[in-house]
Amino acid sequence: MLPKAQTSWTREEAAHLLNRAGFGGAPNSINDLHAMGREKAVDFLLQPTEAPDAFAEPEWCQPAKVAEEARRRFQLIRENRIAARDMTPEEADRKRREIQQSFQRDERRRGMEAQGWWLDRMLKSQAPLREKMTFFWHDHFATSAQKVREPILLLRQNQLFRAHALGNFKKLTHKITQDGAMMLYLDLQNSKKGKPNENFAREVMELFTLGQGNYTEEDIRQAARAFTGYSINRLSGEVSFNKKQWDETEKNFLGAKGNFDADGIVDIIFQQEQTSRYVPTKLWEFFAYEEPPTTAVDDLAKTFLDSKFEVSSVLREIFLSKEFYSEKCMHAQIKSPIHFFVQMLKQLEIPEIPSAYALYVQAQLGQILYAPPNVAGWDWGKAWINTNTLLTRYQISGHLCKAGSTQAPEKNMSKVKGFAMPKGGMNVASAGPDYDTLVPRDARDNVEKMVDSLIDRLFQRPLSGNVRESFIAYGNEKKGVIFTNQEVAELIHLMMSTPHYQLT
Amino acid sequence: MKTRRDFLRTTLLGASATWTVPGFVNNTFAALDASTRDSATQITTGKDGPILVVIQLAGGNDGLNTVVPFADDDYHKARARIAKKEKDILKLSDYCGLNQSMPFFGSLYKEGKLGVVQGVGYPNPNRSHFVSTSIWETADPTTRSNTGWIGRYFDNACAGADPTVGISFNKTQPESFGALKNSGICLSSPELYRWIHGGGEQDKAEEFFANLNSPDADKSPMKVEDEAPVDGASIGMGGGKPGIVQGESNLAFLERVAMDARVSSSQILEIAAKYKSKVTYDGTPLARSLNLVSRMIAGGLPTRIFYVSHGGFDTHNNQVNSHDRLLSQLDSAVKSFLTDIKAQGNQDRVSVMTFSEFGRRVQENASGGTDHGQGSCMFLAGAPIKGGLYGKYPSLSDLSQGDLKFTTDFRSVYATVLEDFMKTPSKEILKASYPKLGLIG
Repeated sequence: MLPKAQTSWTREEAAHLLNRAGFGGAPNSINDLHAMGREKAVDFLLQPTEAPDAFAEPEWCQPAKVAEEARRRFQLIRENRIAARDMTPEEADRKRREIQQSFQRDERRRGMEAQGWWLDRMLKSQAPLREKMTFFWHDHFATSAQKVREPILLLRQNQLFRAHALGNFKKLTHKITQDGAMMLYLDLQNSKKGKPNENFAREVMELFTLGQGNYTEEDIRQAARAFTGYSINRLSGEVSFNKKQWDETEKNFLGAKGNFDADGIVDIIFQQEQTSRYVPTKLWEFFAYEEPPTTAVDDLAKTFLDSKFEVSSVLREIFLSKEFYSEKCMHAQIKSPIHFFVQMLKQLEIPEIPSAYALYVQAQLGQILYAPPNVAGWDWGKAWINTNTLLTRYQISGHLCKAGSTQAPEKNMSKVKGFAMPKGGMNVASAGPDYDTLVPRDARDNVEKMVDSLIDRLFQRPLSGNVRESFIAYGNEKKGVIFTNQEVAELIHLMMSTPHYQLT
Repeated sequence: MKTRRDFLRTTLLGASATWTVPGFVNNTFAALDASTRDSATQITTGKDGPILVVIQLAGGNDGLNTVVPFADDDYHKARARIAKKEKDILKLSDYCGLNQSMPFFGSLYKEGKLGVVQGVGYPNPNRSHFVSTSIWETADPTTRSNTGWIGRYFDNACAGADPTVGISFNKTQPESFGALKNSGICLSSPELYRWIHGGGEQDKAEEFFANLNSPDADKSPMKVEDEAPVDGASIGMGGGKPGIVQGESNLAFLERVAMDARVSSSQILEIAAKYKSKVTYDGTPLARSLNLVSRMIAGGLPTRIFYVSHGGFDTHNNQVNSHDRLLSQLDSAVKSFLTDIKAQGNQDRVSVMTFSEFGRRVQENASGGTDHGQGSCMFLAGAPIKGGLYGKYPSLSDLSQGDLKFTTDFRSVYATVLEDFMKTPSKEILKASYPKLGLIG
């Protein structure tokens, strides 16, 4: 067991927990969590009362609609094939492309809606840790729309991650071997007896469970033979098993012999000692800091193994540990682009995701939901930041604060493969903060107090002398007869245009 | 023009007595400066040293209609509708010639300043735009690399350089710029590469912004009067490796990037305002980008590699007009650019290199276009280039799944450019040694 933090806790610690185990929150949410006390707060996060299906899926996810869409496409293709008999080859080809393009347009639109739907959950959910862990699994079992293309499969995968977000890692790994999006992404779709595809077999060990150096190339070949025989219907998303295409012969895998199938291989992977260490290390790095001390990994691995791979037991230990609230850990993590965006909306109490603008944010800052760069997921931490992304973060803060223009420069917007460009540009005007509520008029007379209250809202900790002094000096500079909403917006924009604001 | 170091000394330290020397200078700058002693390191100045301009032809350029094998019957058979006739090309040899939409490239060839590399590709080609672009940008066909070949050049050869060592005039950072230490900068227009303050009193606001995006003042004070790198206890250099700032905190890192952003932003705005071209450029995005590149070079920015994109090459249908037009735009933009560079007197240090993620199918499709293929051609242009045809034109009868088989690995071209033009060892950057092509000098 990791040494535990004491029972009582500070408001700053409560804010830290909400920032890491969720996407942060407005001062009221922090107060609520703080009032629960440390243990109860962790319980609340680990056992959310909000139902996993509290958010209605987009209409096109309903099974009846999915079937209808599959029929529609099938029919269009068939009709065109018949009509093509009377066309010149050129016409037929053009027609075929037109139909394909119309399918792609639909997919891109749904892709964008699927993003908006997920971001909306991150913003509004009363189960913040479940959403944060869904985000973690998306990175861990990285799967991209760039290859998978069917948004319905990605949304189903997302729901799978949510259902098992705080559940059992072994169970989730079993499930992922038969997940439609994953099958298409790592080529299980075409893996047949006699012609096994090794892509998934490699990654399930290298990136999902064991880490490099804990298996041989021969183990990959043996496992690949077991992961054969599954296929998926692209349109309905249904996965089926064809026994004839499964390689039923004996495999020699990680020292075990048998006629293993996919589940058999996963079971053996979970008998390896390294499997109890790999994910806890990643969890620590995701929630606390990079390069955890070996002793911490030892403790977490034991907990993981003792609980037969229950994720919540590892998370509980992390969130109740002394180290999680140490100086090294607090206020030292670079926000990912998604975290940066969602947390800012919460802090500014903007009630809805500006979903068109959201795609701009994701593309410019380098983290597009459902489109991690490769199977290894995103590079986190310092990799998010370069001179361009930092300046762009500052501009995005300005847009969302409505400190000036609320229109992202459209010419700056590149196409994002797999996602529709919203019509009408990237305006965020519809979703501005309500400054009369955030900073009531009677709280604007005393600039120092106003700045301190905003520091609490945006940073949740005291800032070093010089930074705070600068904010106050700027406020005093601005202060005329009254402090207008526009001036509050400009002050907040300046506060966000700092290196400190990029940390949580 | 101020460098990062000048900024530190004058703006932060000189101008305002309240600014003490930041902790991260102690930890970072000294380490970076010390690293410039490494022999592989190239000191980047704005006055001399080679400059490479990479032009991405995005979408998969049809190499067969760019460098046309007009003498090959198989070419005309496979492309009954879209093939270029002998009279419609600018001959490079008895076998192949340039698309006639490229007269400037044709004249460069005659002057011996255009290198044409034929049949460039890589083993086990991938026909996805996304994957193949990634392969070209990372120089890694296994698509495992998190860094790009240009970024690795910055890391390996330009330690301690300002972030303007690489500039991409692109909407998003190209994968090739991915680096562990210095990944250059990327901007689509100078006006947007800055802190934009919405309200009034712009100057005042920017002053506060500048202060807040400078190294923190609450660190222990020290003097930095001497230019010499400070060795010793204060420098966190891991394992004697230069340039790696081990244990740099996230805040110190962010402060460093914030200042780099601010410095490069004001450099670029200053140059963009000050230097205008005397040459006329077209209004295409490519020409506009190359115009900016030329002005940045004129302004003496210490940039080693610029990256610009020219899109639209995914010519699946009725390609003849659109493809010719794209090549004509390329030709015209490069003409303006190299003329401009010559007028500046910088012609001997600037080379242009084109690449595209793949070529296209030999057989035209039913829509008068071409589908994704494999091997294609690359151009290298400029005074430093030894003109001529390089590599071997792939056979049009011995195909791989309907595609040309590549004859030259693209990493051979990279190796040649890195070693003979950029004057840096290529093995570390490309992770292997590749035969060079003798394209330079």
